[in-house]
Amino acid sequence: MDEKVVNLITEIKNVASLILEKDISSVRGFSERQVEAIAKQTIIIQKGVENGDIDKELKEFFLDGLEAMTTNFVNTLKGILSATIETVWNAIIDVLWKVIDSTVK
Amino acid sequence: MSIISIRFVQLTLLCSMLFITSCKTVLAPEYDKAIVESVSVTSQKTMSFVASVSNGVTQETFKNREPIYNYLIGAFDALKLQARARPVPRNVATKQINKLLKIKGHTTVKDEYYPSAFAFQKIAETLTKMKDTDRSKGIKPFAVEAFKGQIEIFLDQAITYESFLKR
Repeated sequence: MDEKVVNLITEIKNVASLILEKDISSVRGFSERQVEAIAKQTIIIQKGVENGDIDKELKEFFLDGLEAMTTNFVNTLKGILSATIETVWNAIIDVLWKVIDSTVK
Repeated sequence: MSIISIRFVQLTLLCSMLFITSCKTVLAPEYDKAIVESVSVTSQKTMSFVASVSNGVTQETFKNREPIYNYLIGAFDALKLQARARPVPRNVATKQINKLLKIKGHTTVKDEYYPSAFAFQKIAETLTKMKDTDRSKGIKPFAVEAFKGQIEIFLDQAITYESFLKR
């Protein structure tokens, strides 16, 4: 394979990996925090119901809250995924653009 | 090489450049520094307020807390509006992502959906419920803890999403 093509492939791979590594580590931290917090929230509601601090009406409210926060957790991950795909795509386009730009010059 | 051939090559390269730059895509909304700064201030105030009532409160002292509830509810409602006010990117790539999600049996990403706006709305609703409960019967410690937990989880979602938009 032509050396220029090999270099271009390597550059594209490096750009994509750099963005993905950074984003994946942030997403992992967020996911772990959320899963732990949602689990703790469930236990708090359970204990509150048991000792009477949380009555029937509040229990319904907090259970609806658990459902909404879980759904939005997944939707936040989807939103983050869109932003990451966009960053990777545009970074690759930049690499290609630079190659063409240098050819024109 | 004749001048015509050189011009042809230059034109072809120029067209290629224009095509590639037009390939740049926008899949997520723009980062808004004002939203992130406002969330930072409002979340600090919210957490301080929740900490001040962590041992539980009685309805007799509700009047002292009412202005703080009103301020915080208004602040999160305003944040929801700010987050929703940004133009939403609509493009082929979002359609493709949704196609893949559908194939895998997952719910699709709605074009008009902002996780942060939804989170702000839920925080405002949580504070409204907290205020109503406080006014009618006071709030006991485990209920305060549950309100706090709910607010914290939605805040984390909103802050993480908004921070990710800085790209």
